[in-house]
Amino acid sequence: MSGELVYLTCRVNGEEVSLHVRPEEIFVDVLRDRLAATGTKVACDLGACGACTIIVNGNPTASCGLFAWQAEGADIQTIEGLANNGNLDPVQRAFVENSAFQCGYCTPGMIMLARALIDRDPAPSRADIRNWMGANICRCTGYEMIIEAVEKAAALQQEACNE
Amino acid sequence: MNETAPPLNVVGEGFARTDAVPKTTGTATYTVDVSFPGMLHAKVLRSPHAHARLTAIDATAARAMPGVHAVITRDQLEGLNPTYGYFIKDQPIVAIDKVRYIGDAVAAVAAETERQAVEALEKIVVEYEVLPTVAAIESAMADTAPELFEEEPMGVVPAYGQGASGARRLGINNCYRFSYETGNAGAFEGCDHVFEDRFLFSRDQHFHLEPFVSVARMEGETIDVWSSCQNPFPLRKELARVFNHPENMIRVQVPYIGAGYGAKNNCKTEPIAILLAKLSRRPVRFCMTMEENFLTQSQHAAILNVKTGVMADGTFVARSGHIWLDSGAYSDASPLVAEKAGYRLPGPYKWKHLDIHCDCILTNTTPAGPYRGFGGTQASWASESQIDIIARSLGRDPLDLRLQNLKDLGEAYVPGESGVDSDLRAGLNLVADRIGYSDRQSGDGRGMGLSVGFKDAGGVNKPAQARIRITTNGGIYLHCGTVEIGQGVQTAMAQIVAELLNAPLDRVSYPALNTDYTPFDQGTNASSAIVVMAMAVQQATLKAKQKVMEFAAGQLDCSVEEIELDDWSIRKGNESHPLPIMIMRYYGGTGYEFTGEGFFKPDIDHSAPLETQCVSWEFGWGAAEVEVDRDTGLVNLKQLVVSGDAGQAINPLVCRGQDEGSAIMGLTGALFPCMIYDGPILMNGNGLDYRVPLATDIPDGFVSILQEQGHGPGPFGAKSLGEGCMLPVASAIANAIEDAIGVRIRELPLTPERVLAAIDDAQSP
Repeated sequence: MSGELVYLTCRVNGEEVSLHVRPEEIFVDVLRDRLAATGTKVACDLGACGACTIIVNGNPTASCGLFAWQAEGADIQTIEGLANNGNLDPVQRAFVENSAFQCGYCTPGMIMLARALIDRDPAPSRADIRNWMGANICRCTGYEMIIEAVEKAAALQQEACNE
Repeated sequence: MNETAPPLNVVGEGFARTDAVPKTTGTATYTVDVSFPGMLHAKVLRSPHAHARLTAIDATAARAMPGVHAVITRDQLEGLNPTYGYFIKDQPIVAIDKVRYIGDAVAAVAAETERQAVEALEKIVVEYEVLPTVAAIESAMADTAPELFEEEPMGVVPAYGQGASGARRLGINNCYRFSYETGNAGAFEGCDHVFEDRFLFSRDQHFHLEPFVSVARMEGETIDVWSSCQNPFPLRKELARVFNHPENMIRVQVPYIGAGYGAKNNCKTEPIAILLAKLSRRPVRFCMTMEENFLTQSQHAAILNVKTGVMADGTFVARSGHIWLDSGAYSDASPLVAEKAGYRLPGPYKWKHLDIHCDCILTNTTPAGPYRGFGGTQASWASESQIDIIARSLGRDPLDLRLQNLKDLGEAYVPGESGVDSDLRAGLNLVADRIGYSDRQSGDGRGMGLSVGFKDAGGVNKPAQARIRITTNGGIYLHCGTVEIGQGVQTAMAQIVAELLNAPLDRVSYPALNTDYTPFDQGTNASSAIVVMAMAVQQATLKAKQKVMEFAAGQLDCSVEEIELDDWSIRKGNESHPLPIMIMRYYGGTGYEFTGEGFFKPDIDHSAPLETQCVSWEFGWGAAEVEVDRDTGLVNLKQLVVSGDAGQAINPLVCRGQDEGSAIMGLTGALFPCMIYDGPILMNGNGLDYRVPLATDIPDGFVSILQEQGHGPGPFGAKSLGEGCMLPVASAIANAIEDAIGVRIRELPLTPERVLAAIDDAQSP
């Protein structure tokens, strides 16, 4: 059933990764099972809920719907790569300070989705945030505290840039 | 709080949650992340038939497949008590004589990879004799309906107090009936008006993002199981019975839970994972897919007939009701949900007579079980819809009619019960004012509706135990059995402990649950932690503190009254004595741990209908504004205002998250399609087809208001919170729809099709 192994080289959180993958292997399984990066979570496994969102070449991507070989040459960011020497990313800080999570299972995906938005637009409007964050499902919070956290993350980042 | 109480330092502050950094950095461990060397993966063969006799099953070929280490069919159940359930033990680990719904477990395989397990399942040969099916409440109750259980499964009816009773198998496919009666049925005869209405409630699925998952292994003869589970101690008890295994040789461990909303109670993945681990002598992980979640647990669909008698001046007199819950294929928690749906149907109003039955009807569909709101959602939908029907019929404003009849603060809910611990009128006026109810423009497609969601909280006869340990250097461990499922319990409990010990929040740790050393708890449910477990936590903390103070007083040769605990030093007048030095001087250089044990339980009281008085009453006040498109039937929710009463918020941010999250869960049942069945076939049971609210579905006018009325029974006046705000949502929206277009919809969800049909009905002569 499995074909020839494929040699995959990509960058994950700034570090080059090379490994053989099966043609049908899914990238989120590479992350979780082979790179021990279990922060990325799987829920619907259909690309609908966004729990498994990572950033691939700047684009938020459902890693449950990404074949491992499709990551060839890609620059990948996961939740594990956001904090810098123990300093939380502004999006993480905002989620912490605003209690923008409950069970936390969707949170890595939500944070990566928000990170990708602020990378594109450092000062998104509330309506832009609502639309963008509408890509992922959170069943716990009712979303308002997440939207407020993304607004705050953009402000925190702006502050850091101005310093 | 009384006026002499000292100011609070930690309680009441919106601190960052203690689980914030693990959960925002991807380092929080969930059961899906638990892994052992040599771990196998389980997959389950599920029935394609909704109802069939299992005539033959042959797994020989599956056992020979690559990577397969163990296979379970009914032949592997010998020597076990192979069925489980709450009051009624009717659900088998895998099918024994029959399958009863599409998705019922028939066999299971453990293999080195999930793919190998799936490939082996395809080699299992099963012969079925297909039987007629019943997929809805009414057809399942018919005299000629096929029975899911021809023989009575093992089970019990629990003891009840004044006015309440339970019974089994009163009719075809009727697995349980709860009844409650008080007053005199003749009360209806004295009423000026009697209203009879029938309401339908659809079934939502929990849609918890972490699936049902467990990892089981045998450590010698000890069963060690990691589970995403809300009630690990009852689970341990049930596993001990199922496997004929000593309870002290079963260890359940629960790391962070990726939500449950009620679904993750009792046996789900655990019996299969454990049995495969026993057979293979390897660790086994059984992680369901989201599609399997839909085939494992759902909310209860319901039919609710409500008869209410009132006086011409609007005074409520009598209510009788009959509820039928769709229990799905197994009894699961249905008897408990029936008890609560029936008991909550009156709502928090002044009645002279009540007479309610709630039946659990088995159907060939996904088993229904606990779901946030726990019968209160169904009851509030019917009760609060009918109150608007009555108000409009009497020419009364629905707000005024409610204000006239709501219970007073402290008034007993029913004879023998505790008094309500919120000012109901204050809460209702608050949401009405916030939404602009009195200035509303009714009709012409736009309108507003109100509702008071209600449930008894804190569980029934629920005990709680907790333990505090304080290390030499002042590190505080809080051991209690409430699991962190997203509700923020670790944070709230830590704030209570920190407040009582005059310590900073980061000195308090809350170890993950392990049944080997965590004190017993009945389960994380019923919004009980902050009024039941927190009482045990408070007592444990104060006892540990007392030991510290007595020790320090002895060392300083003074009385306890002369000293104060200040962080981890003892203040005596102007002197400050660090405790670590004192402790090591007395106990030796390696130090010591001070401990305290706490316990809480409501008293048994046979005059209370459920045998203990309710610990805390939970309310969710709701107000909705809608705009209805008469051409398409689309309901555009313009505003949704909800409010809960925390009594005293331990952490207001956490409280806000609970209120808003539960309100939006309630929105699912109100305006989203829910589980769509075509006969016994679930049509939308996956993450793509099933619609839950997204950020883009939430109106800009969605607001939650946190009340702190100060009447709660918990530490510092805390009250139950976290389920209330889902309860009023559907009825507030239906009431707003009637305010907007003059038609009453009695069936959920409030889809455009139903709205259009109701408009057509109203227009037909």
